[in-house]
Amino acid sequence: MADNSKTEDTASDSLEAAKNATNKKEKLADQVMQNPQVLAALQERLDNTSLTPSSYIETFPKAVIRRIDALKKLQVKCAHIEAKFYEEVHDLERKYAALYQPLFDKRREFINGEAEPTDAEAEWHSENEDEEKLAGDLKNAVVIDEKAEETNVKGIPDFWFTIFRNVDMLSELVQEYDEPILKHLQDIKVKFSEPGQPMSFSLEFHFGPNDYFSNSVLTKTYKMKSEPDKTDPFSFEGPEIVDCEGCTIDWKKGKNVTVKTIKKKQKHKGRGTVRTITKQVPNDSFFNFFSPIKVSGDGESLDEDSEFTLAADFEIGHFFRERIVPRAVLYFTGEAIEDDDNFEEDEEGEEEELEGEEEGEEEEDAETDPKVRILCA
Amino acid sequence: MADIDNKEQSELDQQDMEDVEEVEEEETGEDANSKARQLTVQMMQNPQILAALQERLDGLVGTSAGYVESLPKVVKRRVNALKNLQVQCAQIEAKFYEEVHELERKYAALYQPLFDKRSEIINAIYEPTEEECEWKADVDEEISDEMKEKAKLEEEKKDEEKEDPKGIPEFWLTVFKNVDLLSDMVQEHDEPILKYLKDIKVKFSEVGQPMSFTLEFHFEPNDYFTNEVLTKTYRMRSEPDDSDPFSFDGPEIMGCTGCQIDWKKGKNVTLKTIKKKQKHKGRGTVRTVTKTVSNDSFFNFFSPPEVPESGDLVACSKCQTWPLSFSSLKQLLEQKKISNGICDDDSEAILAADFEIGHFLRERIVPRSVLYFTGEAIEDDDDDYDEEGEEADDEKDQNPAECKQQ
Repeated sequence: MADNSKTEDTASDSLEAAKNATNKKEKLADQVMQNPQVLAALQERLDNTSLTPSSYIETFPKAVIRRIDALKKLQVKCAHIEAKFYEEVHDLERKYAALYQPLFDKRREFINGEAEPTDAEAEWHSENEDEEKLAGDLKNAVVIDEKAEETNVKGIPDFWFTIFRNVDMLSELVQEYDEPILKHLQDIKVKFSEPGQPMSFSLEFHFGPNDYFSNSVLTKTYKMKSEPDKTDPFSFEGPEIVDCEGCTIDWKKGKNVTVKTIKKKQKHKGRGTVRTITKQVPNDSFFNFFSPIKVSGDGESLDEDSEFTLAADFEIGHFFRERIVPRAVLYFTGEAIEDDDNFEEDEEGEEEELEGEEEGEEEEDAETDPKVRILCA
Repeated sequence: MADIDNKEQSELDQQDMEDVEEVEEEETGEDANSKARQLTVQMMQNPQILAALQERLDGLVGTSAGYVESLPKVVKRRVNALKNLQVQCAQIEAKFYEEVHELERKYAALYQPLFDKRSEIINAIYEPTEEECEWKADVDEEISDEMKEKAKLEEEKKDEEKEDPKGIPEFWLTVFKNVDLLSDMVQEHDEPILKYLKDIKVKFSEVGQPMSFTLEFHFEPNDYFTNEVLTKTYRMRSEPDDSDPFSFDGPEIMGCTGCQIDWKKGKNVTLKTIKKKQKHKGRGTVRTVTKTVSNDSFFNFFSPPEVPESGDLVACSKCQTWPLSFSSLKQLLEQKKISNGICDDDSEAILAADFEIGHFLRERIVPRSVLYFTGEAIEDDDDDYDEEGEEADDEKDQNPAECKQQ
C-alpha cells in the first residue's frame, strides 16, 4: 500500500457500492414482509419447523422425502460394508502384530538382561547429542561410588515401572504398595482375536517370579462391537470397546494389595462394652485393573459413576494397545509424553464439558476408525 | 470381652451386630508405612544425599533426556538399542499404512455402486422403487400428530401447485450449508453455482504411486465455467522422516494441488473489479482506475497456496482465527512475495484449514452425505467436536494429519 490517501478512496467506493446493494435488498425485504400472504406462509413454516435441518426436511414434497429415505437405506448398506472393512483392518493388524513381534521379543530380551545388544545395535546419534553428553559428563563428575555397581546392572531396570510413572493416565492408578510388584513386570503384549472369533484384543502383563502372586501372566481382555447397531446404524464409526474381562490373581498369603484389613471398635449400646473386630475392605490398587466392573448382561445400564470408571478403563486399554506397547521406549525416555501433552491438554478440557454425556464413548477415535487412524494414530 | 476381640466381622452373628455402635476404625499394616517414612526423613537430613538429589533434579529439569542421561552407561546402551528397534517398527508401520490404503482403495470400489445410485437418485436419473424407499423413522424422528397434520396440509397445497421437483434439489448445496466447516467458505455468489454440483467423488492413488487422494467435484453444464469436473488432490507423506522417525504417526497430508477453472466471460467469482478514484497530488485532477483483486469465494478452494519446497509446516500459534478467507491470503502472497522455503503464519493457517477440509470431505461428507443433508450427522458431530469458543484447541478430533500442522 503505497499511498494511504489513494486507497482510502478505494475503500469508501467499495463500501458505497456495498451499501447501495444492501439498501436495495432491504427495501425489497420490507416490501415482501408487508405482503400478508407471504407473512402467513412464513408463520406456518415457522410453526412447523424448529430450524434444524431435520425439521426443514419435513417441509419437502413427499416425492423428495421418498428419495431421501432411499438414500438412507443405501447408507445402511454402506455401514455394513464398512463393518467388513474394519474386520479386514483387524486382520491386517493381526498380520502386522506378527511382524512387530520379533522386534518386541528382542526388546524384552534387552530390557530383562536376557541378551546384550551388539555395538551396531546400540549405536544411536540424536539431535541433542552434544547437550546430552554435557549433561552426562556433569553427572558423572559428581557421582560417588556408583561405577562399581553400574557394570553389574542387568538389562534396563524398572523399565515398565518407569513408563507407569511417566504416564499420567497410568501413574494415577499406581499406589505406593503397588510399586515393588510392578518392578517385576517384564513385558506387556497385545494379542488379537483370531478370524471368525468376535473381535477383541488382550493385554498380557508378564511378571517375573515374585513374592506377591504366583501367576506369571495377568490378562485383561477388551471386547469390541464391530457391527452397526440395528436400531441405530448411523452411529457406527468402526469397532468400539464395549466390555472387558480381567483375570484371577493368585495372591500369596498376606500379599493381596487389593484388600486391606480394618479394625473396628464397636460399643454395645445396651451393655456399654467395647469390642474390636477386623474387616476386609477393597483397597485402591493398580491391580484392581484385573477385576473390572462388569457391564451388566441383562441390558441394565450402570450408574453414572460406574459408566465413567468403565469408560476410563477402556481408554487405558486402548492406550496400552495403541501407544504404550508399540512405542514403549519413547514413553520410557519421555519423548512420546512431550508429544502426547500437546493433545492431552485438550482432552482434559473436553472431559469437563462432556461429563455425563459421553459415557462409554471413547475419546480417542484413532482406534475405532482406522481411516482416522491413518492420519493420526 | 477379650474372646470376641479381633474376630472377623463375618463371624459374629446378627444379634451382636444390632446392639453395637461404631466407635472408631483404624487400619492395620500402618507400621510398615511409618517406618519407611521415618527413614525418608532421616535421609533427607543428610547433606550429601541432598546434594546428589539436587544435582539429579537439576539435570532432569527441562529435558526428558535428563533422566536417561542419569542412567549408567551400560543401561543407556540398551536404551539406544531399543530406539533402533523402534525405528525399525516405524518402517514396518509405514508398510502397514500402505496396506490400509490399499484396503481403502478396494473398499472404495465396493462403495462406489452405492454412491453411483445415490447420485442417480439425487440427480433424477433414477427413481427408487417403493421397496427401496421403505424407511422406518427413528424414535427421535417421530413426527407428532400435529406436525403430521400440518405436513399433510402442506403436501396437499403443493400438489395443487403441481410441484414436481426432480431428484433431490440442491442436495450438495444443502450439505455445504449445513456443515459449518464448509458453509464458512461459501459466499452468496457461490450458491447459484453450487446448485449445479451433482456429485463429489473420492479417488485413491494406485499401487506404486506416491500416496494421495483426489476429490472430484462433478458439475452439470452451467453458465459459469466449462469444466465438468473440478479436482483437488491431496498428497500424503507415508514414510517416517529419517531425521525424526519417531514423529511418524501414519500418513499425513503434506500438500495439495487444485485445478484450473475455465470461467465463462464475466462469471469468475474469484475475482472482483474495484474502482479507485485517485487524486493527483500536484495537479488536483481526479481519475478513476479499475483494478482486479481477489474475491472471497468457495472456488478459491481450487487454487490453494503453494506448499514451500523445503521445510515442514510447523505449528502456528496464530491459527486461532478460523476460517481464514482464501482471497486475503492471495493478497498477502501478492504483496509479500513469499519465497521458497518460507511460509508465513497466515498461509500456514490457510493450508492447515484446507487440509482439514479435504480430510473432512473424504472421511465424513462423501461417505455419509445423506446424513449431513438431513442433519443427523451434524448433531452427532457436535458432540464430538469442540465449539469455536474453545481457545488453544488444535481441533483435536480432526485427525492429527491436520493436528500435526497445527
